[in-house]
Order: sequence, then C-alpha cells, then structure tokens
Amino acid sequence: MGRRRDDAAVDSEASRMNEQEIRGALREWILEHAKSPPKGGDLTDQTPLLETGLLSSLDIVEFVLFIEELREEEIDTDEIEPEVFTSVDTLWDGFFADRP
Amino acid sequence: MTTTRTLRSGFAASAERHADREALTVGDETLTYRELDVRARRVAATLDRHAPDGEGRLTAVFGHRHPTAFAGVLGALTRGHGYVPLNPAFPTERCRSMMTRARCRSVVVDPTAIDQLDELLEGVDEPRVVLAPDADDVSELAARHPSHRFLGAGDLAPADACEPRQADPDDLAYVLFTSGSTGRPKGVMVAHRNVVPFVDFMVERYGITEADRLSNTFDLTFDLSVFDMFCAWEKGACLCVPTAQQKMFPGKYVKKQALTVWFSVPSTGVLMSRLKMLKPGSYPTLRWALFCGEALPVEIVEKFAEAAPNATVENLYGPTELTIACTLYRWDPARSPGEAEMGVTPIGAPYPDMEVRICDEALHEVPRGEAGELLMTGPQMTPGYWEDPEKTAKAFVVPPGEGRTFYRTGDRVRWPEGGPMIYLGRVDNQIKIQGYRVELGEIEAVLRDVSGAEAAIALGWPKTASGADGVVGFVGAPDADADAVLEAARAKLPGYMQPSAVHLVERFPLNPNGKIDRKALMARLEEG
Repeated sequence: MGRRRDDAAVDSEASRMNEQEIRGALREWILEHAKSPPKGGDLTDQTPLLETGLLSSLDIVEFVLFIEELREEEIDTDEIEPEVFTSVDTLWDGFFADRP
Repeated sequence: MTTTRTLRSGFAASAERHADREALTVGDETLTYRELDVRARRVAATLDRHAPDGEGRLTAVFGHRHPTAFAGVLGALTRGHGYVPLNPAFPTERCRSMMTRARCRSVVVDPTAIDQLDELLEGVDEPRVVLAPDADDVSELAARHPSHRFLGAGDLAPADACEPRQADPDDLAYVLFTSGSTGRPKGVMVAHRNVVPFVDFMVERYGITEADRLSNTFDLTFDLSVFDMFCAWEKGACLCVPTAQQKMFPGKYVKKQALTVWFSVPSTGVLMSRLKMLKPGSYPTLRWALFCGEALPVEIVEKFAEAAPNATVENLYGPTELTIACTLYRWDPARSPGEAEMGVTPIGAPYPDMEVRICDEALHEVPRGEAGELLMTGPQMTPGYWEDPEKTAKAFVVPPGEGRTFYRTGDRVRWPEGGPMIYLGRVDNQIKIQGYRVELGEIEAVLRDVSGAEAAIALGWPKTASGADGVVGFVGAPDADADAVLEAARAKLPGYMQPSAVHLVERFPLNPNGKIDRKALMARLEEG
C-alpha cells in the first residue's frame, strides 16, 4: 500500500538499458503486480498478460507509466494497439525495438 | 397483439426485420441477427431435447465475452427460461454455488470457460446437462463425470427443430447473484414484467435505431449488461463486445468500432482519463455517454463530454433489485456544475413509472429536501431474492402509512425542491464518529479535492460499538505528499471528521464489478 514507483530498475542516472535489462524489468514489474501466479508457473516473454487476468485494467495505468519511464518517452495511448500488451515479446517489439 | 412481450421479443423481431444486419461483434467474430438467432435456437432445441426430468425454468450460462455466451443467454430465453450467468473470471467455487443454489440443470459453456468445467462440477451429484456448442469432442469430460451428460458440437439440434416457448410476464428473465453485505451472495430475481418496461423506456429515450453500435463493457454477471444487449437487439443495432485485452484500451475500441452509445462504470472513465484517452474531440461518433454503478465525479463527466463532443452524458442510478437503473440525470454543461455536490454528479429523477420515498430510519418520509434513505416502487421493482424470504422481507417493505411495497435501496439521497436528486452514499457509509453523524462521502470529496486524486475513500477507524472513533483516508495518488494532504484536509473539516491518517494508494482494490472494494480496504486496516 502506498508504494511509490521507485523501481530499482529505473535509474535516470544510469546509461540506457539494453534489451535484456528492459525485458527483465518488464517481467519483474509484472510479477510484482500479478494478482495470481502465471498459469504454468513461470513468466516467460511469451506468457499472455491480459487475457489470463495476470494484469487487470487497474495495473494498465501504472504499467503504461512504467513503460514510459523505461523508454524515457511518453506513450500516446491513442496510437497503441491493445495487442502490444499481449506479452513481454510484443511489448519489446511495440515500445522498444525501434528506439532510435 | 395477443402475445405478451418478454425480454426476448425485441431480438426475435429484429431477427426477422434485420436478419442480415450485425447483431454482435466479439473480438474478431461478427454475427448477423440471422446467425446469432440460429445459434440461440440450436442451443434451445438441443437443451429442450435433452432436458433432464424435473428441470426448473433457469438455464446457466458459463462464459465470458464469447459469441456462445450470448447465444446461451438468448437460447435460455428462447426456451422460456431465465438465464443465470456464471462468470469464469470469478472463483469457480462461487460459480458452482450459484449454479447449485439456482438449481440450474442445464449449463451452456463457452470455450473461455470449458477448462473450468471439472472444477465447476466438483462434488455436484445431481445430474447436469452441459452443452459446449464449440467443443468437437466431449468424450473425455463425459468419462470423468459419469453422472452428467455432455453435449458437443456434434450433438447440436438444427435451428428449425426449435420451438420457442413463450414466457409469462411473471416468469423470470434472469437471476443475478449480487454480493451481499454479509457473505453469501443474494440471487436477485428479475421477471419479464420488470425488465420489459426498462428496455422500452431506454430505447425510446435514447432513440436507438438499427444504425447504432452499443458498447458492452459489463460482464454478463453485472446487470448493466442487460441494457447493452437488449437495448441494442430491440432495434436491430449492433452489440460491440471488447475482449478483455481491448477493454484495457477503451478509447481505441470506441474508435475502431465507431461506437455510438458508450456505457460504463465511472471507474472506466477514470482509467481513460489517466491513460490520456479523453483528449477533446476524440470520439465524434458517440451520441450518448452513459455511466452507472458508482458515484460519477464531475471532473470525469466534463472530460468525457469534451472528448465526445457530439454525445449527451447521462448518469444512471439503480440497484439490481429495481432492474438495472431507475433514476437518471442529464448532464448540462451550463447548469450541472452548480447542481453537483461534493464533486459528484446528481442522480436526477426517477423513471416515469417509478415512485420515490425518502425516509428516515423508521421509514417515515422526511421533509422535502432533507437527507434520508431512498425507497422506490413501480413496475421495475423485482419480486425479491431467490429462495430467501428473510432477506426479501427485510429489503422489500411496506412503510408505515403506505399500502404498497417499496424496495429499500440502502442509499442515502437528498432531493431538493426544483432540483435533481443527490446521491450521498450508502446508508452504511454514514457512520457515527464520537457520536456525530458523519457522511464519509463528504470526507472523500475533501480528500479528492486537496490531493487532486480522482478517487479517495474514507473509512471509520478504529471501529467502536456505536460507529468509529475516527477516520482514516485512502487517496489514489501514490506520488502525493501524505502529510500535506492530511494537513489540507484537516483545514477544511471539523475536528470529528478529520482523518487521523492518510494512506497513499497506487491501486485501489476493486470488487468483481469494477467498483472500489471498501471491505478490502477495511481488511487492510484490520490486519494492521
């Protein structure tokens, strides 16, 4: 309760995170906020995030803010397709893969 | 007309008149009225063919945001049954309890729920007929549960084998289990004679036509979904059902489906606001933006109205026991900000055929303009709770000096002369603190105001025999300064209403219907 968004993974002083670090940070955030453990035990980069109820609509707001911090750029929610939130893989492709 | 209209009548008429128009779109699948009608008739004919002896008049639908779930609802009604929705997103044990308590002997199951069938049937001895219209092979299920009968795609009867059974106005259209304030869910029985006037009034008021596209943000277990389905189908309009994933991005869905009627809980509006989805002019296709289910913050209405410039915003209010909604308020940008109180939109006036009494604790009417509990009666008042005469007698009462039964909403309202009715919160949310009568909603409004948060909850804490010793606040602003919020709130409230502490909350716990779960917050305090 009342937890601040002080996730250790995000440190504006540090140099930009690489792909593995970002994927790791995403997984960590999801596990921390999941209402129940992922079906089948482990959270992989292919685990469905929304359809299985791992994350709720409440989490999405915080999650979008977290992704904005990770990529150091605001997200225009009008422009994103819900499918981008399918898995860690699609998140990487949708938000990070084509960063300049 | 010799036949009486039922909840299904409008769909049946549209299936003839608008056979090739879209009736339903879910995910990637779109069904015309003809196609949806065929699926519903096949469900009905199949269940009738295999109906177990001694079956009652209720059919369970175990599904979620899938065409088969909707065909199941219509299939049940086509049989002349009421439907009992079971939500696979709820704990399966809860679904099982609803199914067994309502004694549903037939269950329609869609692919989203089929994996939970083993659990649903655990310990259920009385034989059930389970129809999974999308399953090619049900032999394994049958082998695991020999006392039940399983029917798959291959067992479906043809649509023309269906003989729709006309229900009577007093027959149940649906039974919904709502979480009672004490443990066991209550089954609210809603008859055709309750719901038909509701649909008629709504369709007329909103001028629904076959060109409309209505949102379906509500699960079938939430009675507001009845508005979505049957107001759309009454007139040949299309019901647009976002998948769980699409529901997370409501703005995108409105645009993609070119929705004309939006209906959600205010919390969804808050979500859209926080995701910056309420930019001015975003949703020009919307004609109506409707909200119901919890207090509607003025700030959200104003943002939504700007985002949907061609839409009229209305705030609906009503408990399941009075059939979906029974008062409403039309937002007027010029007049309404002055009519709102504590930052919350009024709930307006009762539907034309519904009557209001605002009463004190002894159920005597209070003078006009004073606060009291809202009681209502009229055609939408339902017959009570399923097999629970005790709870029915407690909530459906004849007030002193009245000759008729009224339903006690448990909601506190005030209805000033010449103005709209104002929602003040649950009767339970009015508590005594150190002997003072305190409206927690008032404290919540101050907390929202001083923190800038869109949601805040106040709870009486620590509890005492007569109420509470003080107040604790929860504020949905994780990055706010708790001490500053506390300080600012104290400056605006009398001593006995001042919170002793403010907790900053990143996410409020929600109940299954998407409303803030006060009991879960109380549990946090109790756990220390």
